[in-house]
Amino acid sequence: MLYLYLGIILFLLVLIVWNMMTEKNLMVQIDAALVIVPLVLRLLLIK
Amino acid sequence: MQIECIVFFVMLGVFLLGNFLLKLPVSLSMVAGAVAGALAAGDGIPLRHLFEGTFVYLDTVLIIATAMIFMTVVQEAGTLDALAEVIVSRFYKVPAVMLVLLMIIVMFPGMVTGSSTASVLSAGAIVAPILLLMGLPAPTAGAFLAIGAVLGMAAPPVNIPAMLITGGVDMPYIGFEGPLFTLTIGSGVIAALFLGLRHCRNLDYRVIGRELDHETGKKYGLKLYLPLVLLICLMLACRLFPNVVPTLGMPLIFLISAAVGCFTGRRFPIAASIREAMRTTVPVLGKLMGVGMFIQVMTLTGVRGFIVDSCLGLPAALLYLAICTVMPAFGAVSSYGSASVLGVPFMLALLSTGNQTVIAASLAFIVCMGDLMPPTALAGNYAAQIVKERYSKVLPQCAVPVLVCILMGLAFLLNSGSLGFLVP
Amino acid sequence: MTIIMKKPLLSAAVLLLAAALCVVSLASDFRAMQEREPIYPGPGVTSVRMLSDWFPGIYGTPGDTEVYILEGKKPGSAMLVLGGTHANEPSGMLAATLLVENAQPEEGTLYVITHTNQTGFTCTDPQEAAPMRFTIDTPAGPRWFRYGSRASNPIYQWPDPEIYVHASSGQQLSGSETRNLNRAYPGRPDGTLTEKIAYAITELIRTEKIAVEVDLHEASPEYPTINAIVAHENAMGLASDSLINMQLEGMDISLEPSPKNLHGLSHREIGDFTDAYALLMETSNPAQGRLRGRTDEHLVVTGQDKFYLKAFGYGRLYVPYDENGHPISQRVARHVTGIAAFANSYTEMNLGGERGGINLGTLPGYEELESDIGPYLCPKA
Repeated sequence: MLYLYLGIILFLLVLIVWNMMTEKNLMVQIDAALVIVPLVLRLLLIK
Repeated sequence: MQIECIVFFVMLGVFLLGNFLLKLPVSLSMVAGAVAGALAAGDGIPLRHLFEGTFVYLDTVLIIATAMIFMTVVQEAGTLDALAEVIVSRFYKVPAVMLVLLMIIVMFPGMVTGSSTASVLSAGAIVAPILLLMGLPAPTAGAFLAIGAVLGMAAPPVNIPAMLITGGVDMPYIGFEGPLFTLTIGSGVIAALFLGLRHCRNLDYRVIGRELDHETGKKYGLKLYLPLVLLICLMLACRLFPNVVPTLGMPLIFLISAAVGCFTGRRFPIAASIREAMRTTVPVLGKLMGVGMFIQVMTLTGVRGFIVDSCLGLPAALLYLAICTVMPAFGAVSSYGSASVLGVPFMLALLSTGNQTVIAASLAFIVCMGDLMPPTALAGNYAAQIVKERYSKVLPQCAVPVLVCILMGLAFLLNSGSLGFLVP
Repeated sequence: MTIIMKKPLLSAAVLLLAAALCVVSLASDFRAMQEREPIYPGPGVTSVRMLSDWFPGIYGTPGDTEVYILEGKKPGSAMLVLGGTHANEPSGMLAATLLVENAQPEEGTLYVITHTNQTGFTCTDPQEAAPMRFTIDTPAGPRWFRYGSRASNPIYQWPDPEIYVHASSGQQLSGSETRNLNRAYPGRPDGTLTEKIAYAITELIRTEKIAVEVDLHEASPEYPTINAIVAHENAMGLASDSLINMQLEGMDISLEPSPKNLHGLSHREIGDFTDAYALLMETSNPAQGRLRGRTDEHLVVTGQDKFYLKAFGYGRLYVPYDENGHPISQRVARHVTGIAAFANSYTEMNLGGERGGINLGTLPGYEELESDIGPYLCPKA
């Protein structure tokens, strides 16, 4: 189940980064950057 | 003045300044408040603490993101349109019964998962178009969904704030069905009728019928409902047979059901729709990150202790007032946080005043109202989003039902001794 | 506020870079918790085994942990001390460490696990703002220890279910309790990592015919079960006899029966599922309480907090509290004195019969430890 959920995190990360690249509003881009950090830390099994 | 009090005002001041004066988003205002608080307390910019605080919401982030994907899929595939048509054509003659039924539908996912977000984003999406068709103005419909979602979160069998409170005082989560059921169903019926009945006393099906989509349901038949049926079955199976069915968790259940929904109804551009779902979700997720940072800094600097301590130092009458005001207000940062940080000390303070199960249930019920408090207001924000309205318009509509709920909770707290019969 | 970027790709790239830098910096902070504090086995330690020796299912996992065995000069009964079940309750881990480094049993065998939930020591709880380490001053210089999480590290066991259903009783708890070792007993060989650790401990108790099991904990001062022994009904005789001896040593302590309807806890399940006398001790740790002010290393070590002082003033605490706080040396002293008292009572009451008693040899007394634990935790070269 752990790896399945890491897969879900990866899927969401791809979607968030994809959105970030095309989002024109800087504020929403910053929101995305805030979300990315904990998701990556969990994906890499650091925290 | 104590340093913790100063830090608290700095955090609050910077947040308000950012949010209202500079018009920054809530997320960034929260981050700014957290950083300012840490600086004021002499902790510099504690990167580790800032991001560690966000991890409390990691699972919530997954639930929200996947629930949004699910909701988009069932909307695009036509499932919601078809379901609205079925419900309205069956029940339009008895609007009061229909309103209560719709309230229970909104509550259902929350009852099973303990999450108001899950409620509003799954059942809320089904019910919203029906409420609008019945003539409820968008803000009132939003309030209906938001109240239903928090009542679902509070309703048995799964009430996570109650579990957090009982866990904090080493009390088993047993016997909560009676008091929680009475509180939630009672206030659910009152809220449904109060919000809805005056707008839909005389429903004219000829008018509503024109708005309904009669085609999609006929074209795709029962398979259109497969994603919804699957969602409910998986939720129930995981809950009812935990030793047989592996615990899939809400995010996976939402994704599986969404995946099925892509092939059971109208065709739609899957990738673009999912991306759009995520686009609308990111600001809410960002808000959660900001809140996580804010609470961690509150704990680090002692502001959290200052608030809890100030509440517990109050005399008995004011203690009840604090329970009814501070506890839901703390939900503005997090209702789970409120249950754990304030609910447990309040529970300990009231342990000897009556039936402990009724007390814990009442506290948990009041805590749940916190999910409607801005700026986080997960249930409220999504309810507003579903009815395409601003949350600031939806919130005032929630005021009376929330007040009724809090008063019911208070009445249960004050009379917990004589309500012991509700606990088997 | 909306700031429209003319070159969204550029701003996205800059923000992604910033996020990457945060991740790199945070990774080194969080990974630092994987470094284990050194434990220096004392002259009484006759062998060190791994918990997986009793249940190979946890071999090679982050849940495996050292079991220190201190065989007495004379054969006798066996006692197991569990420290570090909850890594945010440091006096249990320190008391267990102190035993490993100082005890020299005369009779019977002492088994000690200093870090019972090893994975709990590799992370801290979000929104609790706890320090990652704390330091004890010793005559040989400062010595660091980790301050961890109440639960297993989620990177090894995730996601949590919405509801945690305790396997053998069907009891429901909030989902996060699924990683709480002291809600997982007697454990399951095919369960989660936390349940497997609990199962391994139960297996150790069964295989080694442990007669007395003591689980060392702490609780916040506003919690009713505090400065207390919690005993399974089978162990009430032993616990009450020990209680009198502890009170004679000057300790203010009470005895609570293990609730029969609260499952997964060591004092309930080990008592029900094995032949051991199951006991649990609680001391008062303000650093894990909800009323605490600033959360830092100073609070962990001194237990001094102005909000707890105020709360005591208006009667919200279950323990006496003054400006001296509840220092960690006092909390460790309570645990060590309790363990010695259990061993003595077990022997005096002749509960071991033909197997013999448990004599842990000469251990520092309550007052000695209360004044300073540093001399008993000296790092060795």
